Amino acid sequence: MSFDVSQNQDNAELLALFAKGNRLSTISLTSRLAPIIFSQAFHMLNNRADAEDVTQEALLQLWKIAPKWDPNRAQITTWLYRVTSNLCIDRFRKSKRVSSEEMPEVIDKTPDVDQKMQFMARSKALYAGLKILPDRQRQAIVLRHLEELSNPDISEIMEISIEAVESLIARGKRSLVSTLVPQKKALGLNDD
Amino acid sequence: MTDKDFNHLKLGESDLDKLFDAARDTLPIMDPDFLDQLQIQAFEAMPITRQINSGNSNIKIFKWISTVIPQFGGLHASISLVLIAAIGVIIGFNPPDLVLDFTTIYFDTETLIELAGINNETQIYWEDF
Repeated sequence: MSFDVSQNQDNAELLALFAKGNRLSTISLTSRLAPIIFSQAFHMLNNRADAEDVTQEALLQLWKIAPKWDPNRAQITTWLYRVTSNLCIDRFRKSKRVSSEEMPEVIDKTPDVDQKMQFMARSKALYAGLKILPDRQRQAIVLRHLEELSNPDISEIMEISIEAVESLIARGKRSLVSTLVPQKKALGLNDD
Repeated sequence: MTDKDFNHLKLGESDLDKLFDAARDTLPIMDPDFLDQLQIQAFEAMPITRQINSGNSNIKIFKWISTVIPQFGGLHASISLVLIAAIGVIIGFNPPDLVLDFTTIYFDTETLIELAGINNETQIYWEDF
């Protein structure tokens, strides 16, 4: 078992150490933050290569701002969620290729092939539904239901009121429902 | 017709949750090589590393200069050469009166331009040689 002192340090402390040239803090910070960014970017773009590009870019922005980081201003994760969202929206607008062009690998925790196929079909349908939502609705739904953040956190990330977040999520879900209803049976949502 | 007949036209909160669960569960695992690449980029982006790298480029320039100077006979000789070259350029562009006087007496011309033969009425024909 490795003893990592940085486990007990928060992200802001690690970023301050990074700015001073501490390599251990850099490893910890990258290992902590990269999966968070990658997850959000993949959920927004549904494309591994694009998600990796966004992860890289968001982290580079963080390293750049590190020497001037003010820990009293915002949490690093909040700032990163915001940066990642903006990068994803920019990329999404440019490419418009969030689609089934890449089917994600299924993590091997499903018991049989049928269930795996069903998971993939549901995932694909959801991404197709998310694709046609307005940017802000998609962003709010991804943060709430895929990244599982709280509404106050989302309001801070999106810099809007909690009521506005709730409204975006509600409207987004209504649109998703109307898009996905015809596929209800095909997605196996009628029998359980 | 009962409500059950319209059931296929409804998608409840629990149905949506199943779709969200599926999307979360099918999130690809981050490639370890990609994580390594991010670590390397982070090291390169460290402010200390950036300073050292920029310092290295200065060191390279000084090293190059220190190899060039001995080829011109040392520091004093190199400085003298540079100064003489600079004076030559200045005189070429804006010759002082002293230079003009000297050329006037020695070459019997009024101006340096005349000495150079520019706008001179004298024509040189190859047949003369």
